[in-house]
This record gives sequence, structure tokens and C-alpha cells, in this order.
Amino acid sequence: MKSSYAYYPGCLASLSQKELDTSTRAIAGKLGMTLVDIPGFTCCGAGDVHEARPEYYLHLNARILGQAEQLGQDTLLTICNVCTLNLRQANAKLQADPELLQRVNRNLKEVGAASYSGGVDVRHLLWEIAEGDGYEKLKQIAEKPLTGIKIAPFYGCQILRPSRLLGFEDPDRPQSLERIIEACGAEAVDYPSKIKCCGFPIVLARAEVALGELIQPLAEAKEAGADAMVTPCPLCHLSLDAWQGKASREADMEFDLPIFHLAQLVGAAAGLSYDELQFKRHVVKAYPVTDKIYQGV
Amino acid sequence: MQVTLKIERYNPESDESRQETFSVDVVEEATLLDVLDVIKDEVDGSLTYRKSCRMAVCGSCGMRMDGAAVLACKTPMRPVVEAGEVPVISPMGNLPVLKDLVVDMEPFWAKFRAIKPYLDDGGEEPPVKEWRVQQEELDRVMTEALCIQCGCCVSECNSMESDPDFLGPAALAKAARFVNDVRDRGGKSRLEIYNGPHGVWDCTRCYFCNQRCPKGVHPRDAIAKLGAAIYQEGMHSDGGARHAKVFVKSTHQTGYLLETHLVPETVGAVNAIKEIPFALRLARAGKVPNPLKPHKAKKLDEVRKLSKLIESQEQATLEAANAGPTRPPADPARAKESE
Repeated sequence: MKSSYAYYPGCLASLSQKELDTSTRAIAGKLGMTLVDIPGFTCCGAGDVHEARPEYYLHLNARILGQAEQLGQDTLLTICNVCTLNLRQANAKLQADPELLQRVNRNLKEVGAASYSGGVDVRHLLWEIAEGDGYEKLKQIAEKPLTGIKIAPFYGCQILRPSRLLGFEDPDRPQSLERIIEACGAEAVDYPSKIKCCGFPIVLARAEVALGELIQPLAEAKEAGADAMVTPCPLCHLSLDAWQGKASREADMEFDLPIFHLAQLVGAAAGLSYDELQFKRHVVKAYPVTDKIYQGV
Repeated sequence: MQVTLKIERYNPESDESRQETFSVDVVEEATLLDVLDVIKDEVDGSLTYRKSCRMAVCGSCGMRMDGAAVLACKTPMRPVVEAGEVPVISPMGNLPVLKDLVVDMEPFWAKFRAIKPYLDDGGEEPPVKEWRVQQEELDRVMTEALCIQCGCCVSECNSMESDPDFLGPAALAKAARFVNDVRDRGGKSRLEIYNGPHGVWDCTRCYFCNQRCPKGVHPRDAIAKLGAAIYQEGMHSDGGARHAKVFVKSTHQTGYLLETHLVPETVGAVNAIKEIPFALRLARAGKVPNPLKPHKAKKLDEVRKLSKLIESQEQATLEAANAGPTRPPADPARAKESE
């Protein structure tokens, strides 16, 4: 773990998923991580700009990396799977090809943006607290163990695959979320589709296909006895939380499964309150689980 | 070394499925395919699986080990034995099982045929005896040309589990191989096949295909190349392309995703009205940002200029790609050699 990071919350945590940004800032303080805001950062383009206009995507991400570098930071912290893959993929491309980097920098200079030398590493919050001194620190701050609560880890796709660009852990047998759940004093529940897709990228363009994907992890986690689910990705969160009602009607099953952001899980174990972690901003009500955490009932 | 496997067996005559455990002695260099061969030769001759080249070229021996699609001939067993594991071997996913580890590849080939997996030169006569392709032009399709049609990507495709009609990663990777071939004149009519209801925009970007491909084809990246070709040709009829359009527009207008534009502009105004109760539920949780006061990034002019600048460069690239194959060099010696 670093002592300071260029902090890239991305779009969702700045807009509809603000509780993730608030919770991340709150736990960073406890973990001793200084988060340096990036003035003028934009959307990473998600999978959409990446697909439709790959050159523009590359420049958008080079601009963000250049901005981080300008702040004197060598590590950029992400809290979203899609931002993580987008930024790491652009970074790997730019770092491997000096001619490309030069061409991109010429374009950045022409529009008055900061150039990028290739010296920034992109890391997701999950990776920083799942091992090494970050994990030790996590265990220290988890003073209020979430005893007796069963939590289903849901990784999402773009923090595992493709592993040649992400590569933090075995993409078929990840353990980082399980380790964090245990450090928080809760019990990790295992189920097969924890590494599969939540369907979110196509939830509007192909609603039925997406719901078919979303039902699987919800049904399996529920079947495995989970009280709640935790995810490191705000897009997965939106899918699992906001679209859960639709998945429930489609599958004709009652899920009622509260979905925690990773930072909320850590925050709850670190003694941060319901309000500080903004659990009220969830569509599926979190109180059946948060009451157990905060009132022991 | 001794290898123990649990194999999913299926007998089509009795319609019975069972898991059977086999332990055999094999050489240390043995692959999963070698182990299956020993089981078939020495223990149970009825065990059924496909194989041919034994060297990761023919694409016959795709199957799952502990749920992950692999080529049996390319999977060394020593690390599995050393880890003390007893893996479960099962047939590939997303395809009907015929017997034991053999799946019916017909749905796979049907999708393959659907994408027109052949060169469409538009009936144009080549300038010399044949269409000459330069090395850098070949490089543009080389990654996708490496595909051996084993089906490992299709086996794990999350969208195909939900929509069995999805053309899928293998067929679409082959499609990208023809779209980006300088000799191909299929143009928009080719792209229209891939832009259909079970085409490119069905992909949920789970990246299982890239992860599983034993030949480094990166099918998801190939699908993205098709998406780019469709989008940059101005084919924006599908909700998938319209969804992408909102993201591009968002980066210009505010620098952040215009979340409130996504639903009406992807699904259309009429369908968006049906989503009002859903939107209200989200609004109650504070999930709908105020569309009248959008969150704006600082230094937005940089991004707007950047988008325009790159767009002009993209157009130049697109025109060059549409210009067709490089004509043979004027060098008389080379021209003579080609005649």
C-alpha cells in the first residue's frame, strides 16, 4: 500500500453511486491512505467509447494518466472494475509502444492537455487492501467484527479478466474478497457464479439477455445462505441493487439481498456509521443486515 | 506420476449422467489428453472424447477442467498433480452434449456460416495475377486469423448462456478477420449481419473468451473492432450503438456520463416512458442525478478539442482502410515476377 494516490472515482461514484465515493474517502482516512483529487478528470469512456471510438478512448485515458503524473503521483487508485481495465489497458499500450506514446502526447499537447511519460501504475482499492501491509492495516482498523453475517463475494468481470492486463490473482479462483470479508469478521459464502458477469453493460440495449445473467449470482448467493453481497464495482452494484427487483420478477424469486460496496463493508467493520456510509442510498434496503451490524439485532 | 480425474460421463442411449473417478500412471510430461488416452487404452475403452493433432492446431480436444475450457492437448498435468488436486473434466458449455466429453458442434458451425466466412472481393479483377497484400496489411488480421475453431471461447460465453442465438465470440472474431482484410469488399452489407439482434451488441464484455482462448485470438477485442467499424460507418440503429453514442456525447458535454440520457436514448422515448416507475424507485434512493444541473468536469474544452482532433484522424484511417488493397509496387522486376 502507498501512503498517497491520485484518486480516480470515475463517473458512477461521482453521480448515482455517490455513497461509494463517500465511503472510500472515509475508509482511506482510517487506513492512512492520502487520496489526491485529480482536477479536470473525465469519464474513462467505459466499454462504450473504448469499443466505438478506440483512438479517442486511448487519448481520454492518456489524459487522465497524464493528469495523475502532473500531481506528482506514481499510482492512480480506482474503485470501479471498468475504469480499472480501461486505464490499465490504455496504460499497457502506451508503456509498450514509445512511438504511440509520442503520437498521443503530440495530440494532447495540441489541445493543451498534460502529457504523459508512462510512469503511473493503476491499482484498484481491492488489491491495495487484500494483501501485504494494506491487509495488515485493514485487520487493525476492523475493530467491530461483523460476526455472524454471511457475505457473498461478487467480483465482476473486469477486475479478473483478461488476467494478462489485470493479473492480481487467479481469475478462476480469486480469494481477495474472501480475505477481506474474513478480516472484517464476517463469513464468506461460496457459490459458482461469483466470477461471472452481472449483465450491466447490456442492461439497456439487451435487457432480457442481461437479466438472464443477473439472476444467476443472485439466485446462487441466496441459495448459499448469504445475508448480503459485496462487490468492488459500482456498475455491478447498480445492476445487482437497482435491477434486482426486475431480476426478481423475471425469475419469480424473492431475492431481498442487500448489496454492499467494498468500501461500505470495510467501513462498517471499521466502526463507521450507517449515515457515514450512506446505506440509505441503496434501492434494496440494507437495514435487515445493517441492523444486525449496528444494533446487534 | 499418478493422476486422478473425475470425469463427467453421459450415455445418450440411456440418457444417464454420472461422474466417474479414474486413477492412472502416466509420464511426468503427460497432458490431459495423454491421461485420457491412457484411461481409454487401459481402463475403459468406452470413454468418448475428440482428438486429432495432439499439438494445439486442429482444435478438436476442447473440454472443461474444473469448469474452465481448455485444449486437453495443451494442458500439462504435472502442476495439477503437484498441487494435490483431483480436477473434474466435463464437456464444453453452451453446446449440446452428445456423449461423455463430445459436444455437438453444429450450432457452432451454423453461426460460423452465418457470418460469411469467406472473402468477398466484389467481383473485381485483381490488378495483376492476384491480390497482393503487404505485410502490414496482413498484420491487421493476423490475430483473428490464428483461430483454430476449438470452441473454448464459446463454451464460457456469458451472453450465449442467456441468449443461445448470440453469434458469439468465435464467429465474430472470424467476421473481424474479413472486415479488416484489405481485399474484402463486403462493406456495409457484411456489417449489417453483425449489427443484427443477436450480433455484436449482445456481447456483455465478460472477457471469458479472451481469458480462455488457447491461441491468443482475443475474441472480445475482435468484437470491439466490429463495434468500431459499425459505429464509425454511422450505423447507429441498434440500442448498443446508441448506448455508445451517449457515452461519446457525455464526454463532450459534461466530461461525465450523462446517466439520465442513457435510458431514453438507448431504448427510445416510448419504451423510456414504461420505465418511469423504475426511475422513480431509483430517484427515491438518490440514484438519479439532476439532469438540469449536470456535474461538469473542469478543463472541458481540452476534451472537446481532443475528440474533434481524433475524429479527423479516425476519418483519415477509415478512408485509407476503405481504399482497398495496396497496388503492387511499380518496380518492374517485382511486377514481372507477379505476372
